[in-house]
Amino acid sequence: MSDKQIQWSVGVLGTLGVATVILLHWMVFFWVPTESSMGIVQRIFYIHVPAWWIAFLGFGLVGLCSAVYLWLGDERLDRAAVAGAEAGMVFTTIGLLTGPLWGRVAWGTWWEWEPRLTLALILWFIYLGYFLVRRSTANPEQGKRFAAVIGIIGVLDIPLIHVSVTWLRSLHPQAVILSAENPMNLESSMGVTIGVGLLAFSLVFASLFLARYAVAGYERELDLRDATLAGT
Amino acid sequence: MMDQKRFSRWTAFVLGVLLLQASPVWAQAGTALGQQTLGRPYWHVFAAYAIVWLLVLGWVISIVRRLRRVEERLGDE
Repeated sequence: MSDKQIQWSVGVLGTLGVATVILLHWMVFFWVPTESSMGIVQRIFYIHVPAWWIAFLGFGLVGLCSAVYLWLGDERLDRAAVAGAEAGMVFTTIGLLTGPLWGRVAWGTWWEWEPRLTLALILWFIYLGYFLVRRSTANPEQGKRFAAVIGIIGVLDIPLIHVSVTWLRSLHPQAVILSAENPMNLESSMGVTIGVGLLAFSLVFASLFLARYAVAGYERELDLRDATLAGT
Repeated sequence: MMDQKRFSRWTAFVLGVLLLQASPVWAQAGTALGQQTLGRPYWHVFAAYAIVWLLVLGWVISIVRRLRRVEERLGDE
């Protein structure tokens, strides 16, 4: 993608993202009915689930790009992996903070060391390690390769988080949207609202991912130019 | 290269709109819908939505700062 194409894509995706975010907020606060058992606090669902969707998408991209980077050594894949990892960290943090706000009301506790929550926290620490390893080696290229390995290992935690509620005894409710037996088991207006939430977060993610990827490219070009100038 | 001024203006617009998103929460406090809390604390919802957009805002700021550093490095040459 050329700079112009990236700039255009960031603008279009960002504008669409903001428009969808506005629509989402209108739907959440003025349109969708209040859930009968948990009340108003259930409205956290419409941001909590999309946040985890983007976190998994971001880390999924890290795993994929890291694996191909180790194979081909293409710098662009490393830049995409970093952009995906930053998105993953931001949205995992959102998921880890919004969950307890909901859980305090629904379960009566901020946090439980139960399988899904614990595995989600481990995921956050794995990708914290991804960034620490990148910066802790004397040779940046070596740091990128080590980080790529961590990026791949971290992805293995995602399916475990997904199945933890069915395979293990868990306080967290079972999957509602990706349930194998009864997918999208939601009242229709709630289903539409969560769909808009997923779209809004995806558009915001796509816009910021591309912007971060582009900036990483500029930084790389300047580093290479500085290294060339220093060598001459 | 991406024009930093345009990117900053676009970012400011996005952030302004995102901050406005908190308004439905304030608008509904004390209304019939706001009272449908079944005795649950309403601030949990407000805090959750605020956390989302503050963290996204933080990421946007970090990207803009990186872009600014790139432009400063270009300007030094």
